[in-house]
Amino acid sequence: MAERKDESEDEALRARLDKLSSALDAHGLKPDGPKAEQESGSIGTAMSLGFRVLTEFAAAVVVGALIGWQLDVWLHTSPLLLIIFLAFGTAAGFWNVYRIAVEPTGSKGRPG
Amino acid sequence: MAEEHAIDPIHQFHIDRIVPLHLFGIDASFTNASLFMVIIVLGISFLMIAGTSSRSLVPGRLQSAAEMVYEFVASTVRLSSGNEGMRFFPFVFSIFMFVLFANVIGLIPYTFTVTAQIVVTFGLAALVISTVIIYGLAKHGVHFLGLFVPSGVSVFLLPFLVLIEVISFISRPISLSVRLFANMLAGHITLKVMGAFVAGLLGAGAYAVIAPLPFAMTIVLTAFELLVACLQAYVFAILTCVYLNDAIHPGH
Repeated sequence: MAERKDESEDEALRARLDKLSSALDAHGLKPDGPKAEQESGSIGTAMSLGFRVLTEFAAAVVVGALIGWQLDVWLHTSPLLLIIFLAFGTAAGFWNVYRIAVEPTGSKGRPG
Repeated sequence: MAEEHAIDPIHQFHIDRIVPLHLFGIDASFTNASLFMVIIVLGISFLMIAGTSSRSLVPGRLQSAAEMVYEFVASTVRLSSGNEGMRFFPFVFSIFMFVLFANVIGLIPYTFTVTAQIVVTFGLAALVISTVIIYGLAKHGVHFLGLFVPSGVSVFLLPFLVLIEVISFISRPISLSVRLFANMLAGHITLKVMGAFVAGLLGAGAYAVIAPLPFAMTIVLTAFELLVACLQAYVFAILTCVYLNDAIHPGH
């Protein structure tokens, strides 16, 4: 009688354990994985990601504009190269943003 | 520090010369920024040396802090640039610790935030990018330039795409440095302005009743700035790894 009770308790415990670990798997959470750290600061992580997108985009546009401006000064082609390189800079900015979007956190492991 | 009444949120970033020193026409004075950099380096050295000196099997507080930081950076480097990237582990670790300590020490009142100076952050970013370029060229030679040539593109589009890749590469140190600098600058200015609201409201007679509102905001912002300080150090380190990965494996 007592043994059977133990068995059924064991089974119940095992079932609960399985359920818990499957629930954890469903959330993609592991007790001490890097995911757990990301979840804790999700607002901060999201804000830093957003700020990263902003700076990557803006920096490319600024770099394009500066290159065009300097080339204009050297080649005396006043607004032409500035406009062209501004367009290239904007394209490079979108390319930067695309690269971030493809690799969300930049931490995805790449096989050697 | 002319008048105490006028609260100047920019004043905290002012660089003062502590020991004036002019070498060959270059102003090489020991400033408050230099002082805090020395403090940062001493703090890091203390944490790592004192933390690893006992080497007990069951770590104490200091030792587990040192070990956690080590493990964290090591796993970050290994994840984003593979096992080959581990030869850059000392570099990434130094940068991460410097930025982290600079950000966190800067949050203590009356201290100076080194990373809120664009010179410092751009210096770090330039160090990272020049390491990438020099190592890439030394290890792969001309093949490193394949980083700028996307594969499988028609000949007519190639010049434009190479140009875009080059601009994108040049923008890296700028975005890397501006991000850290702007986060620190904006955070500290916000904190200062909120703190000034508290002081101003307390001195404004009946309006002192609503002074707790900005005070609560200051507390929330301080916690948030602590998060930002750690996150930005992490972001700086992980982007360093990502860029170094390009130098180790160009032509992806």
